[in-house]
Formats: sequence, structure tokens, C-alpha cells
Amino acid sequence: MNLLNKILAVGILVAGADYAQAQEPIVLSGDQLFGDLKARHIGPALMSGRINDLEGHPTNNRVIYAGTAGGGVWKSSNGGATFQPIFDKHTQSIGTVTLDPKDPDNKIWVGTGETWTRNSVSVGDGLYKSVDGGVNWTKVGFEKTERISDVVINPENTDIMYVAAMGALWGDNEERGVYKSTDGGNTWEKILYVNSRTGCSDLVMDPENPEVLIASMWEFRRTGWSFESGGNNSALMKSTDGGKTWNKIHNGFPEGRLGRFAVAIAPSDPQRVYAVLETEKDEDKGLYRSDDGGASWERTNGDFGLVVRPFYFSRIVVDPKDPNVLVKGGLTGSISRDGGKTFKNLGNMHSDIHDILFDNIDSYRMHVGTDGGVYRSWDGGETMEIVQNLPLSQFYHISLDNEEPYNIYGGLQDNGSWYGPSSSPGGIEARDWNSVGAGDGFRVFRHAEKPIVYSEMQGADNIWRIDIEKNQVTTIQPLPVKGDPKLRFNWNAALAMSPNKADRVYVGSQFLHKSDDMGNTWVKISPDLTTNDPAKQNQIESGGLSMDNSGAENHCTIFAIAESSLDENIIWVGTDDGNVQVTKDGGNTWTNTVASIEGLPSNTWAYHIEASTHDAGTAYVVFDGHTSNDWTPYVYRTTDFGQSWESIATDEIYGFARNIQEDYVNKDLLYLGTEFGLYITVDGGKHWNQFNNNMPPVAVHYVDLHPRTHDLVLGTHGRGIIIIDDISPLRKIDQEVLAKDVHFFDSEPFVMYEEGGFGGNFGSETEFVGANPNRNAKITYYLKKRHVFGKMNMAVQDLNGNTLIEISPGKSKGINVVDWNFMIKQPRVAKGKTLAFGGLTSPRVPAGDYKVIMTKGKQSYEAPLALNYDPRSPLTEEDRVFKHNTTMKLYKMSEDLAYLVYQIDAINERAEQIKEENSKSRKVMDEVINELTKLKETLVITTGDNYVGSAEPQLREKLLNLYSKVASSYNMPTATEMENLQFIEETFADARESFDAIKKKQIKKMEQFIQKNELKPVEIKAFDDFK
Amino acid sequence: MKKILLVMFSLFFAAQINAQTADEILDNYFENIGGRDAMDGLSGIKMMAKVSQGGMEIPIEIVQLKDGRQYTKFQLQGIEFFQGVFDGETLWNSNFQTQKAEKADAETTENMKRNIGAFPDPFLNYTDKGYSVELLGTETVEGTETFKLKLTQKPVLVDGEEMENITFYYFDSENFVPIMVEKEMMAGPMKGNISVSRMSDYQEVEGLYFPFSLSQGVKGGGSQPLMIESISLNPEVEETMFKFPEEN
Repeated sequence: MNLLNKILAVGILVAGADYAQAQEPIVLSGDQLFGDLKARHIGPALMSGRINDLEGHPTNNRVIYAGTAGGGVWKSSNGGATFQPIFDKHTQSIGTVTLDPKDPDNKIWVGTGETWTRNSVSVGDGLYKSVDGGVNWTKVGFEKTERISDVVINPENTDIMYVAAMGALWGDNEERGVYKSTDGGNTWEKILYVNSRTGCSDLVMDPENPEVLIASMWEFRRTGWSFESGGNNSALMKSTDGGKTWNKIHNGFPEGRLGRFAVAIAPSDPQRVYAVLETEKDEDKGLYRSDDGGASWERTNGDFGLVVRPFYFSRIVVDPKDPNVLVKGGLTGSISRDGGKTFKNLGNMHSDIHDILFDNIDSYRMHVGTDGGVYRSWDGGETMEIVQNLPLSQFYHISLDNEEPYNIYGGLQDNGSWYGPSSSPGGIEARDWNSVGAGDGFRVFRHAEKPIVYSEMQGADNIWRIDIEKNQVTTIQPLPVKGDPKLRFNWNAALAMSPNKADRVYVGSQFLHKSDDMGNTWVKISPDLTTNDPAKQNQIESGGLSMDNSGAENHCTIFAIAESSLDENIIWVGTDDGNVQVTKDGGNTWTNTVASIEGLPSNTWAYHIEASTHDAGTAYVVFDGHTSNDWTPYVYRTTDFGQSWESIATDEIYGFARNIQEDYVNKDLLYLGTEFGLYITVDGGKHWNQFNNNMPPVAVHYVDLHPRTHDLVLGTHGRGIIIIDDISPLRKIDQEVLAKDVHFFDSEPFVMYEEGGFGGNFGSETEFVGANPNRNAKITYYLKKRHVFGKMNMAVQDLNGNTLIEISPGKSKGINVVDWNFMIKQPRVAKGKTLAFGGLTSPRVPAGDYKVIMTKGKQSYEAPLALNYDPRSPLTEEDRVFKHNTTMKLYKMSEDLAYLVYQIDAINERAEQIKEENSKSRKVMDEVINELTKLKETLVITTGDNYVGSAEPQLREKLLNLYSKVASSYNMPTATEMENLQFIEETFADARESFDAIKKKQIKKMEQFIQKNELKPVEIKAFDDFK
Repeated sequence: MKKILLVMFSLFFAAQINAQTADEILDNYFENIGGRDAMDGLSGIKMMAKVSQGGMEIPIEIVQLKDGRQYTKFQLQGIEFFQGVFDGETLWNSNFQTQKAEKADAETTENMKRNIGAFPDPFLNYTDKGYSVELLGTETVEGTETFKLKLTQKPVLVDGEEMENITFYYFDSENFVPIMVEKEMMAGPMKGNISVSRMSDYQEVEGLYFPFSLSQGVKGGGSQPLMIESISLNPEVEETMFKFPEEN
């Protein structure tokens, strides 16, 4: 079949399909629908985020991998100066990264699921493999293990490999244990299993004898209100036969229950084994050393740095060349250079050290993974410097203000609270972010009218009201008064603003506290709205073998608060123990509506409530069951104040959800933040589409929509702030649009903002710089099919049909966004020896109405486009006309000059030819050439280069400098500029006169000579053809 | 009845998609763009194009010959600049400041030499060239279903070490022509980023089909469109165009 027939056949098929499907709704996947709507990442990276695992290339020390807690896998190819994300289509919570020892450039294994099991930890969904250095990945299996702590490969036979499955944190899990493959990972056998509560938290192999393995088995469990580390099943197990048989190696360990182990074999002396133990008695905790491969142990050190929080810091790394040098993860990280007898802290860096990587070639070069990113040291851990391009920030919550540009506010895991702009000259840099809180930061808000920011730290230990102009901080959290029980605040304490009263603030303990004076005076406006279950309030006993009462497990607390923007007396409250309460009278009476929700397991965490802005009785609730080991997304809507609820979650959503945002214009358009990314519905929840355009499946903890810019802003827990600019096209998506071949979306008039400046790029070569929004005009249309064959063009025209500029259209199926910077083509510039940089300026068109013409094959489509001037500009309409006319006068002068120089060049060229053709012509032609060349030398630069060898500017350079100055200015041409223009006009007029004089004299003689000798005349294009 | 027909069509179509092998996709591709023989008969290609972005319009002339010789010439304000000029031995570019020719570094030149033979299409007789092709599956890109093919060409040198030279092609599953190409950048400050080229506007030139619209950029970043205005086959090009200007 030839191509034409083929296209025809496909066309018929599709046309037939259209007809037959007319009654069926068109349902597109996210990848088919969203087209050019792309997310932009703005970080920040200055505080980075938590790192779980570091991996180095065995021989090439320029290659380093970072497996992060919630931001995927990042690879450095330049020794850690910068990193690139390489795992953006998959689960972002990483347990381990392992390179194949024989093919480390290509074969990479990633076990997902962070292994440092704090309360806010994300989840993994299996083991992944790449065979091309991380460009493509396939899932190998282990979907239900939730956390994979190690992948260990036999260096002599890389088909033999082991996977350590730590397993689920929040419930029983049969998939825990150690697995072995003998066929390179195609099939697996479970070779070590203890029980459904005990997983493998570390697995190490003897580098000289790959039959020898040591596995640390850990009994652990977390609930929403407690954590337990340790039990009778925790053990350190050794196999000497490739995992067939295992024996406890506890000779020298204390009796009783054990917790999480750290274990490491010294690469340069495999008989030397180190283990850190969590034990019943404090005096037994600490580092144990074995010099006989684990047969016997001796306790060498119990410093704070060795025993601190085993669930968070159980990592030992031994120098590859020296068995006496080892580092232990911890609050600061500890290094020993005497075989573990004594330790000192690592150098200053972000606290909470999770992994350390020694350089294989130079052990003094180290990389360290912390709660605040990757640090590197050149001097053995004494001095640490941060890697500046890892935007791994872990937001719990975000909010927006109404400034221009708007700011984003939010709190971060272990990294305080911040606000920063949605755009900034030169991109959003580290220095654009402002710190507004300490500790773990959570909810941060800007006062609607005043320069006041509210922020908080863990468990409402502090709620701050910050005057960001005066730089004054006041603590305002509600305090208990006579008759109050102990106030219970969630670790991520509920703090909310009123959309109706600017000075009103809400805080949730078990009660709802309200203040109408910015937190000075608090009134309780509810009874205890939680289940107040005493069994969930024993945090003092939390932690297991190591007490861990940080406040992170506080439970039976209010978590979500939402006052209706339509009626200040309607307030919704969700609790972490599963209640959804509503008041319609400002808190006098409350109704618990959760009983009317069908299909929801009791006591499921009410994570977010969204009060509709369209209807007072409508609200949405998202429940998060993952702390009960339940990954089901629970999303419900009520339209009758909670008397009845309808589930709007579908099977299209993968994993549990946390947040929902209703669109302000189209009530059927909803945005859902889940553990594995962003989902959008355009039909009120009948179908959900995952948004993947530059958007990894990262945990989205909070979603907000800017009412002015229509930007969707995502607070992610691992990739910072991600913005989808202007989602308004999605408001127009319906069946009618989807059925059309081409549909242009209506647009509001675009503002031609007038700003520019000196964006700072200094020192940002290795720094993450957040992308700015695009402020061009956006031409947005939907294509039913991807354009492949035939021409497809786009042009902007004035209303008379004159083409101003051609632009390149998008060809994707789905939504295409083409932008235009309001400019027409640069002027034609006279040809000289060097470039005239002023000529690289394009003029902007005047404000007004235009049209976009798109041609696709034989079809032509038209859409209107309206432009407004920057409302901040002081220029009047008359000023605008004058400025535009002046600009275009200079534009035209440049083209006229270009034409003049073109004529000179053409005549000179022909004169030179005639000299060759006819020896008698020399005198006549030389006169022409001499005169014209003299003239040309006053018109354009004819010598030098584009740098410091540049020649003196001539008319072209002077003219274009002025043109560029006037065209790119946001003000009226100045008096000086107008005088300069007059001077240039006069110079140009003189030049024309000179040319005319040469024409009349020397060129005339040349023409006569040509005529007389019947030579080919000079060929000169007309001005319009030349342009 | 129409519905049943449609279901049958869909099944037929789906079955076709599933049954593809890399070579079948390439067979379809070459058939659709004019045939292997015609492609193989090409001695060279010359493209007149322009990059048009933000008011700047740059005319570009690109020449590629079967023996590996090639150049790209573009004009700014009438001044000519050369990029990627290769005569089979020497690779050179114009220096923007001095406007004079400068030779590319040895490794880049060596990698250019290793690329000889790829013309006019790396998939043409790829086994004879020592390349390999693998079908990785289907993927939705540009909103549409594609076959993802992995092409492995002769290894390239990166910092003195031989590295695999891998490119990913996305063939539109309806028309069997590539609409997107991805390649990891192997060197330079952008090392590790993925370069992305998108192709469309396939049009016929003397019986062969070429994409007349190319847009090139970095994955996750912006891109630059190249609009091709005309393509001529088997062009006559002066030998001197490729030679490094010795007066430098």
C-alpha cells in the first residue's frame, strides 16, 4: 500500500469511528489530553530535602547517584557538582540504588520505599531496573514490599543477586525478608523470612566471598499514634552458603529484645564487621565490633551519636581502603579513625545524616546524605559544602498571596517555613526565598491585607505571627485556660485563615480555636471534635526500645479546617481519627457527618476538606488511610452539608490521596493531590487523568489555585513547588470540544508587561534556578490528532489581514500552547563587516485586536487575539502613538539604509566584473568603486570583528543603537533621543544626496559604458523584493 | 452493525499494533517515506530552512552528503557563519567574535568520524552499519501512541572512554514515521540532560518524504523550531565548502 492510500485508509477508519462513536463519550488519558500544559519546577533547592541512599560508581568517581526520600533518583556525571533526575516516571520514594558490578555504566537497580521510617515517610512500590544507564526503567516486581532496603549483587556472577525487603511500615506484610535470584532478576525465591512484622533492614555481602551474607532483621511497626522499634524477632543473621542456611550471630550481644541494627563489613578486611545495636538497656546500646566475621562481638562505643534514633540513623559506612575508618549516620554524623573506639562529629552541615559515600579513589572526598540534601567534603568530613541543585524540598502545605508576582508560602520537613516568589528576574534563585519559621514547618499563610505571615512548628509548639516589614515575631498559639484538658495538637497542627474576615485565624487542637484579632485572643468554638480515644494517646510510651516522644505521634486531633467563603458561619472540621464535623452557626452546634459516608473504613484520617466556592452546602473530603496500611484513595463530595456523601474516586487513581482543590470557575474541574502525583477530572469525578507533563509522580501534599493567574500550585513532598501556569483551557474541555478536529480556546486579552532588568546569574552555574512563568501571549488550541503529514503554519495578522509575524505551531494531540512575545520581525539591517547589535531588537506591536491564522493542510482556522498595554505604564494613548511611530521610523530607516548599502554592493560587484570583462573599462569603473566605497565606509563598519577588534561605529551602528534604545524602552523617547534622531536623519539625508550625486556622475558614466559596449547591466532588486 | 464493524476494525488494528517487531515497523516506515532503494540512492541532501523565534529570523542552509561531509551555514545581518563543517577529516566552526574558522576538539571530531555512514537515515541497512535496533514497547508521546525504538550506533568517546551511543525514536503508530527523538547528552555542561527533537510536516520531495518541521530542545525545557522551506536531493556542492580555510 502506498502512503497516500494508507493515509486515506486511516482517514476512513477514523471518520467511521467518529460516526459510530458519536454517542459514546470521548475519554482521553492525561497523556492524550494535556498536551503542552507543562509543569514548571521552582524548587527551592537551598534547603534541599531528605536523602535516603548514596551510591558511587565502582571505578569512575565522577558518577554518583542519590536515592532520595521523596524526590526520585538523581545522577551526577561531574563528581557531584550537579545532579539530574533520572527516575521521573516512577515512584519517587527511594530505598536503595545499586549498580551492577560488571556493567555499572548501564545496569542500575532501584529499590523503592524510603527506609528511614519517620511518621511522614513516603511509600515505595517495588523494584526497578534500567539497562541503559537510567534513561529507561522497567518494574521488576516486589510491588507490595513498600520498602526495599538493599539490592546486593555477586560481583563474580552478576546473575546472582539478593533483595532485602524491609516491608510495610503500617501493617502486617508477608512480602518481607530476603529474596534471591540466580538468573539476573527474572525469577526470585524468598530465602529468609521471619514473620509479618519483621523485615530486612540491611543486607551486606563479603566482597571477597560472595557466599557470605549478613542480614539485619528488624521488628517494627508504626500506627497513626505510636511507633514501636524492636522485639524478640529482631536478629543479625549470617549465611555462608549464599543464603541457603542462616544463623544468628549474637555472640557478645546482650540478652533480651533487640531493635534496628546497622551493619557493615569493611571492604578492605572482610573479617572486620561493625554493628550498631538498639537494645533493652541503654548501657548495652552502641557500636559492636567483630574481627572474626561476626563470630564474636565486643562493644566499643555507646556515644549519643551512635545510639540516637535507630529507626532514623542505622547506617554505618566503612572507608573502602581502611578498616579502621568508619562513619555512622546520626544527628550530626560521627567518624572514627581508630576502628570504632572513639568518634567525633562530622563537620557543620544540615543535621540528620542518613548515608555517607567514600570516594573509591580518594577517601578524603566524601558525599553525605542528610535531611537537607547532599553535602560533599574534600577533607575527610571536616568541612562540608552543600550540593546546590537538588530541589528536593518536602512541603507539607502551601498557600498563596495576591502580590504581583504572587508568592508561595509553605512549611517543610525539618527545614522550617519559607516564602518565595512565583517569578523573579533571571529565574527563581536561592536568594529569592525568605525564612519564616524553624523546626519542621507546616502551614504558612499570608494575611489577606497586611504584611503579616503566620507560621508554625511541630505540634503547635510555636505558632508565629511575623510582621515581615518590621521583622518582628510574636508567638500566638492558643494556651490552656482553667478547666481545659491537655490541648492536643497534631504534629502538622491545623492552622487556617478565614476567607471572609482578614484578621480571623483558626487553630485546631481537639477543639476548634478561633481568633478575630490575629491570634491575640482565642475562643474555643467547639467541644472535643475527635473520638478522644484514650488508647491512641499514650505517646509517652512510643518508640519501642528507644523512647521517641517527639510529638510526631500526637493523635485524636483536628487536622483540617475550612470556613466556607460563601458563609462565615459554615465551618468544616476533619480529624486525624476520622471525624468530619460541620457547623452552620459559627460553632454553636456541630454535626459529625462521617457516619453517612459509605465505603470508608472507620477512623480513616480526614486529611483535607475543601468547602466549595460555588455552593454553600457542597464540600469535598479526602481521607488518607495509609497510616492504617490502606492505599485506597477516598474522595467524597456532599451537596447537602454532609447529610449524604458520594464517592468521586475511580480506579484510574493509583494510591492514596491527600488533597483536593475545586476550580473557581468550573465546578466539574477538580485537582487531586495523591501520593503518586496529580490527577485532574474535567467531568466532576467521573474520570480522572494523571498529569505527567514535566510532573513526576511525587507525593502532592497540597494543591492551591491562584484566583488571578489561574495557576495551579502544588506543594510536593520531595520536589518542592511545582506550578502549572494558567489552567484555564481545562475549564473549557467538554465533549463538544473533544469531538472537533481543531478548537481554539478563547483567551482573555493579554497584558504586554513592561519590565526587564539584570537577573542575577552570578554564581548560579551549579545552583538550581527555578523556571519563570512565560508572560507571552498564549495561543491555545486543541488538536484531535497529532499533526504528522503536510504543512501546518501559524501567523499573527492585523485585522486587515497583513501578516505581522509567522510563528511555529504546536502539533501535539491534545492541548497545544503556542506563545508569541508580541514582537514583529527584526528590521532588515545593512550588511557590514560585523554585526550591528542594535539590529537584534524587535519592536512590539501596539495594543489592540489581532488575529491568529492557522493553516493545516487545506484547512484554515482563525482565532482572535487581544493585547493590552501594561496597566502600570504612565504613557498615554498619544504617547504610545508617538513612541510607536518613532520606533517604526527608525525601523524603516534601517531597512532603507540596508537597501542603499545593497545597491552600492551590487553596483560595485558588477563594476569589478566589468573590469575583468573589458580592459578599457578600468577608469570608469574605478571611479564608481572609489566613490561608492568611500560612501559605504560612512554607512557601515567595513573592518574589524565582533569583539574588541571592532571598528568605529558608522551611520548603521548609530541608527540602530538609537532604534534599539527607543524600541526597547518603556518610556517616551527622550528629548536627547529625538535630537539624536534628527542628527541621524540629517546624516542619512546627506548620504542619500551623495549617492544621488555619484549616480548622476560616476554611475551614469558606467551605465553609458555598459550600453555602448552592450554589456550585462547592473541588476538591482526592487525594495519590496529585497526586503 | 456499524458498532460491530468498528469493534472488528479496532481489534484488527490493535492486533496489528501488538504484533509489530522493530523490523516490521521499519519496513512500514521505509515504505511510507518512499522506499529503501530510493533512500539508498541518495548521494546527499540540501535543506534551506529558517529558525524563527521571538522576532529573530535566521536563514539556514544545511548540507549533508553520503560520505559524511556536511555543513550548516547561517546568516545574521547578511554575514555568514558556519557550524559543524566536516570534510571527512576536519570538523570546524566559525568563531562568533572573530568570524574566523576554528577547529573542533579532537574528541568531537573523532565522534563525527564515527558517525560517517549514518546518512541518509541510520535505520537504513542498519545491520550492515553495525548498528542495532530494539523495540522497547509503545508509549504515548505528543498525545499519541508511538512505538519506542532504541537505536545503538557505533560507540562514541566521552572523556577518552568509549560509551554506548544510544538514541530513542518514537514512531507514530498510525503513520510509522518518527515524531520524536530523544538522546542523552554525553558531554559538556548539559551532560546527563536529554535532548529532544520533534518532527512533523512530512512532505514529499521527488518521491521521498521528509519532515519539514523540526523542533529541538532539552527535555523539560524550551525548544527551538526549525522550519524547512525547501529540500533538494543529490545537490552539487563545491568541494571548497567543506575545507578548513587555511588562511586562518
